[in-house]
Amino acid sequence: MVYITEAHPSDVWQMESNIKDKVVLASPKDEEERALVAGACVRKLGIQIPAVIDEFGNSTEQAYTGWPDRLYLIDAKGDVTYKAKPGPFGFKADELRAALAKLVP
Amino acid sequence: MYCCIRVSVLVRGFGRSLEANTLSTKSTSVKRILVRAFVAIALVWVLACGALYEIMRQPPEKFARFMARIPGPVAFLVLPFETLWTHARAGALHVGDSAPDFSLMKLDKRASVQLSSFTAQRRPVALIFGSYT
Repeated sequence: MVYITEAHPSDVWQMESNIKDKVVLASPKDEEERALVAGACVRKLGIQIPAVIDEFGNSTEQAYTGWPDRLYLIDAKGDVTYKAKPGPFGFKADELRAALAKLVP
Repeated sequence: MYCCIRVSVLVRGFGRSLEANTLSTKSTSVKRILVRAFVAIALVWVLACGALYEIMRQPPEKFARFMARIPGPVAFLVLPFETLWTHARAGALHVGDSAPDFSLMKLDKRASVQLSSFTAQRRPVALIFGSYT
């Protein structure tokens, strides 16, 4: 997982669903705060896959147009073999699973 | 007597014709107003789509700040949000392109991970971009 800039922080564009889920967080002010929020996310959601944090300038998010969420699959040669449509509409785990199954039968 | 009847019929006939003409003019005028209203609404809709598309192409925070001020149903129900979003956020990276390399810190900040290190080991990588909110 690549932890990127918040999608719906409370001080920018909060969603009702965030309030309902009790995920009410303001935008991290620096890399340290982003790391703290990322840590809380991984712990509370029980994410077990390796997670890295995008640097505060969001260079990785920009390179991959990853905000607010997005899926990619990179093959063994380092080429993009699957690119989802931008989230949240394009965030389809089934598509990634199918692409992965094709790549690693 | 005959003359009077003839004149009366002519006057009545003229009246009916005038009434029909007035109705026809009214109907044409209503049609014109409806067409103009439709064209105006369509124009506003197209302009709103263009404006939203441009805003979607802005950096995420700028886009999010704008969206926070827009009542939800306007953007999501009145405008084709998903279609515009899919195009605006398509990105420059395509399937078959070489994945941009990065070196990012792990959550514990004890080490960093470089994407190309997986390529060196001939291992595929799934990237899941996201955040808590």
